[in-house]
Amino acid sequence: MVQVMIGAEPLHTPNSSNNDYMLEVNGLKKAYAKKQALENVNFSLRPGTSFGFLGPNGAGKSTTMKILTGIVKADSGSARLFGKDLTREPAAVSRFIGYVPQEITLYEKLSAYDNLLFFGEAYGVSGKELKQRIHDVLARTGLLERSKDIVSTFSGGMKRRINIAAALLHRPKLLILDEPTVGIDPQSRNHIFEMIRELNREGVTIIYSTHYMEEVEALCDEVAIMDQGSIKAMGPLGELLEQYGSNAIYLEVPGLAELPHDPDVTSYRKEGSGWLLETGSSAAVMQRLLRLASQHRWDVKQLEVVRPSLESVFLKVTGTALRD
Amino acid sequence: MKAMIIKELRLIGKDRRSFIFLLLMPIIFIVMFGSIFNQEGGSSITLRTVDQDQSSASKALIEQMKGIMDVKQLPTDHWEDQLDKIKQGQFSAMLVIPSGFEQSMKEGKASNIKLYQDPAAQTETAPIQAILGSISTSYREQKLTDLLMAKGDSKAQADAALASPIHIENVSTNSDHLNMIDQVVPGMTVMFVFFIMITMARRFFEEKKTGLLSRIRTTRIKPLHYLIGMWFPFVLTVIFQCVILFAFGHYVYDLKLGDIAALSAVVLSLSIAGTGIGLGLSFLVPGEGAAMVVTQIISMGGAMLGGLWVPSYLLPQSVQTIGHFLPQFWAQHSLLDIIAHGAHLGDIWGSALILLAFGLAGLTIALIRLPGFLRSAAN
Repeated sequence: MVQVMIGAEPLHTPNSSNNDYMLEVNGLKKAYAKKQALENVNFSLRPGTSFGFLGPNGAGKSTTMKILTGIVKADSGSARLFGKDLTREPAAVSRFIGYVPQEITLYEKLSAYDNLLFFGEAYGVSGKELKQRIHDVLARTGLLERSKDIVSTFSGGMKRRINIAAALLHRPKLLILDEPTVGIDPQSRNHIFEMIRELNREGVTIIYSTHYMEEVEALCDEVAIMDQGSIKAMGPLGELLEQYGSNAIYLEVPGLAELPHDPDVTSYRKEGSGWLLETGSSAAVMQRLLRLASQHRWDVKQLEVVRPSLESVFLKVTGTALRD
Repeated sequence: MKAMIIKELRLIGKDRRSFIFLLLMPIIFIVMFGSIFNQEGGSSITLRTVDQDQSSASKALIEQMKGIMDVKQLPTDHWEDQLDKIKQGQFSAMLVIPSGFEQSMKEGKASNIKLYQDPAAQTETAPIQAILGSISTSYREQKLTDLLMAKGDSKAQADAALASPIHIENVSTNSDHLNMIDQVVPGMTVMFVFFIMITMARRFFEEKKTGLLSRIRTTRIKPLHYLIGMWFPFVLTVIFQCVILFAFGHYVYDLKLGDIAALSAVVLSLSIAGTGIGLGLSFLVPGEGAAMVVTQIISMGGAMLGGLWVPSYLLPQSVQTIGHFLPQFWAQHSLLDIIAHGAHLGDIWGSALILLAFGLAGLTIALIRLPGFLRSAAN
């Protein structure tokens, strides 16, 4: 469970000494030369959560993750993992964190096995234990038979899987994944999703950053919507949909350029070949639309009630569509 | 750190470009220079000769000359065409033994042989003239010996009468002058050691550009361990490079390696100097392109001024003085001392310390610049 916030204001503030939270982030700020990258970011995670960071490029997701992993220093604020300050005691907490960066950060000229051997030792695992763990993660990624192949011969999806595997060798409690599925085939994406779900089931807490809503919906039970350096909304997916999403009606009539005003419709927008009408009274609006269709002899191709989506939540919270 | 070192050694082993720069190129250069200087060494002076007399006396004269220099006999017909070649600068001198040479000798007359020469190539023709003068003198001495013996002197008395009142004794001493292979093998080795800087800069910028450096920072590897872990494999690489190149010189050109302990000390110091400067450079320049340019300047400029291409004593005094500020000079100087002049550890420790100081300077720059480099990698 995460605390829910609107804008930068938390709805309730967790007690920092509350042991239920494994990660507590308070008031993170970070500015680069020409841009305020983060503005007062707060969130807390309980163990076993699968937490999604959703936002467009430049929203501040990667900066937040880089601060959590010690790559970037925050200008102010704090981040505590199991009560230890991530910025002041990075060595003490690095063993709990596995980080999968947005880029494929592997040595292309080395084999998958040699890459994993390096990252395993870099995380402090060695000897027979490391060899066993390499075997385990390779089996998990489905690349056991390709372990001795040079990484440069792998497909993008296979590289992504090894990229994730390299962060699992020290068995982290918190796995941070920064857009780990960029530019891969559906098969590899599904494989990665399954890996993440499995890790989460095993108790690994997940922070997953993406700008694909369907990924958040598929993987995360809690979501933070980020835009322009701050968290605009945060909470369990169902609650966000309930709080910010509204039912909508999809109407497709060829040649229909505009729709008459309906007092129960909160917004109209073009969607594909038809119109999407957001409303809290879908039954009444649907009834009136059917009447109009009959009066004006519309050639109705499609008329249906659409469930609230994360996209509509994002639109409502940020004022822009995610793809914008 | 052990993980870093093993990983980096694996990457260097798979880097074909490094292999070309660090081993293949210097071997090609050594072979090229070695071939040139070996040819020069085998034929110090060449004299083209036209024997128009074709007599036993003329053949004896040619045989006598062959004992001293490289004699190339030209055909007697159209020999005048060869004069044009002298004018064109294709060779500098030609000796013509005219018809009637033997007959004149038998009659006790002076045999007039002609030496055609390029007046602009006095450096090359002067030794030929000296040799021919010496041969002429030996003919005169033979004539005088015959005369004295005809007057009743014994051979010993005749030789004593003709003996020179001056005796010149040859005494060998050490000097800066070298066998060219002694110069070429260490020269090319030292020059190409500094090309490691390109490989080093490329590796650091790759790590930074690909995000690997950022990722490594999330592991338990500390910044200083990262630096040493990246640096040490290059030290080993340079040592390996030097071993291969000196072994090549030794087995192919019979290069005498001298005191192995002293040679090892210089190679170690040189590897620390080259890689230390490479480390400093990697953290100073803004990108791989700049590193490439600076490396070329350091490697080629240092080779020229440091006496790697031609022996330092042949360079102008001002250049020799500048050379003292370059690591290449001290490396080459100490290597030549060991290889050509039989120096030992006690003789080269000063040069080795100077090389270590260059390496230390590079390491210091790298240490100072490391935090900034890591910060820039994060973005």
